Amino acid sequence: MDYFIHLAILFAIYGILGLSLNLVVGYTGLLSVAEAAFYGVGAYVTALLLVNAGWNFFAAMGVAVIASAAVALVIGLVLSRFGGDYYALASLGFGVIIYSIFLNWQAVTNGPLGIPAIPRPDFFGYVIGDEASYLVMSLVFLLLVYVVSRFIVRSSFGRAIRAIREDEAAIQVFGYRAINYKLLIFVIGAGIAAIAGALYASYITYIDPSTFSVNESIFVLAIVILGGLASLRGSLFGAAFLVLLPELLRFVGFPDTIAAQMRQAVYGVLLVVLMLYRPEGLTGEYRL
Amino acid sequence: MSILPQLIANSLIAAGTYALIALGFNLIYAATKFFNLAHGAMATAGGYAAFFLLQSFVGINVVLAAALGVLFAGLLGWALDRAVYRELRKRKASNTVLLVASLGVFTVIQAVIAMIFTSQFQTLSGGAADSVYQIGGAAVTETQVIMIAAAVAIAAGLGLLLKKTLLGKEVRAVSDDEEVAKIVGINTERVIGWVFFIGSAIAGLGGILVGFDTGLQPTMGMSLLLRGVIASIVGGVGTVYGAAAGALLLGFVENFGIWKISGEWKDAIAFSLLIVFLVFRPQGIFKR
Repeated sequence: MDYFIHLAILFAIYGILGLSLNLVVGYTGLLSVAEAAFYGVGAYVTALLLVNAGWNFFAAMGVAVIASAAVALVIGLVLSRFGGDYYALASLGFGVIIYSIFLNWQAVTNGPLGIPAIPRPDFFGYVIGDEASYLVMSLVFLLLVYVVSRFIVRSSFGRAIRAIREDEAAIQVFGYRAINYKLLIFVIGAGIAAIAGALYASYITYIDPSTFSVNESIFVLAIVILGGLASLRGSLFGAAFLVLLPELLRFVGFPDTIAAQMRQAVYGVLLVVLMLYRPEGLTGEYRL
Repeated sequence: MSILPQLIANSLIAAGTYALIALGFNLIYAATKFFNLAHGAMATAGGYAAFFLLQSFVGINVVLAAALGVLFAGLLGWALDRAVYRELRKRKASNTVLLVASLGVFTVIQAVIAMIFTSQFQTLSGGAADSVYQIGGAAVTETQVIMIAAAVAIAAGLGLLLKKTLLGKEVRAVSDDEEVAKIVGINTERVIGWVFFIGSAIAGLGGILVGFDTGLQPTMGMSLLLRGVIASIVGGVGTVYGAAAGALLLGFVENFGIWKISGEWKDAIAFSLLIVFLVFRPQGIFKR
């Protein structure tokens, strides 16, 4: 039972990441491969505030969201000038730079050793220590993110970013500053990713840089594309599927060391097959 | 003793490695107009193919093993074009779709290699220890000399091939305009197949030399690829001399960069160079 709760918590975390990235990739058509960077900033800021400053989890998460959004604002100022493939490459570059900061800024991040003993959240004196209540909290955050994302994509702002995706030049003619919209949705996405990072840090109680490498960005991208570009429900489905997939592989009987590689191989194959036969993903409305 | 000669030597060695990746990457980009992110995996595959041969056939000639490794990488690139990229081109897929598919291919190859050879660090060696030369106050190993020589020879050879031979003219025609090339009777799919074979084989050679120089790891493809991509864009995407010039600049910037700050920041320095170029000179040193 604990095992299922564990998977459900992972589903909630990856669901949040999927929703966040879908706003950027699916709705705005900007292929960002930097998701793990903001996930990581969220996790590190939360962990540092909890461990070193003894902050309350929810306050720390709030600061983490702001910090991640601030980093995204700086990166986005450069990134929003690009489109298409160059956007993907530049975002990959920023992803690597942030990863190398996690890895090498020893004084703050403790380098490859990571940060251990991150406490669980404390909700007005009630410690969310056991797995079941952590799951409830994670699902509440997932729901919250889902509702906010739905609100965003249905608002006039949501229509504007979709218009940028379809034809950036045309919407400029109507007086929209496309660059500002691209920047804003990137910052919002980064803020949401930080929520997932905070949940991850406090759940696993230990973080190290390897969790936030480029591979993780590719994994979240696979979630978004598999579930469907510009489909919020699709991202939830994609997260559920790709979180459960390695477990299915384990039941088939692969040893653990191979299973980790198998997971990578399978989502790589999935990306190729989707690009060949269904570039909009299973339920998506937009094709890359 | 001055550190300067060694720094220059190190820069040239790094530039040689990056050029071997960037030349093929640029060639493939020129012909197909998409960023082939699986290109780094060709280097890994070539390196491991040579490793496999040297392990399983004791006493095999090192040059023969390396040549077969190069051939294997070339054939792998050609096969991937046939199986994946050509199918995507038939479906009129956008460049971004091809980019995502190549990301999937990359993930699969990396995972498969890790499954077969484990994630451990392996070294390629031809039995005898690498002899070290003292050149103008810098220590350089034999492998490193070969690396620089190979990069120079291949850059020059590729330039001649494109200029003087019929295949080269066809490649340039396809790079300029695939539709027109088709109309004048060039079998464009055959030409692109050759481009993938040649480009991937050069990357394979790069991977093998890196294996002799520093060692092999399944994840090495990503960092090699990123260096190749940066060198290509900095030098001018789609040009032979651009790739070489970009590799040279990147090698020097990286190695002189870590003169003052510690070596772990190499990745960050490399990407900073990319971003500076993307912002201020997106067409690269040589404009195509």
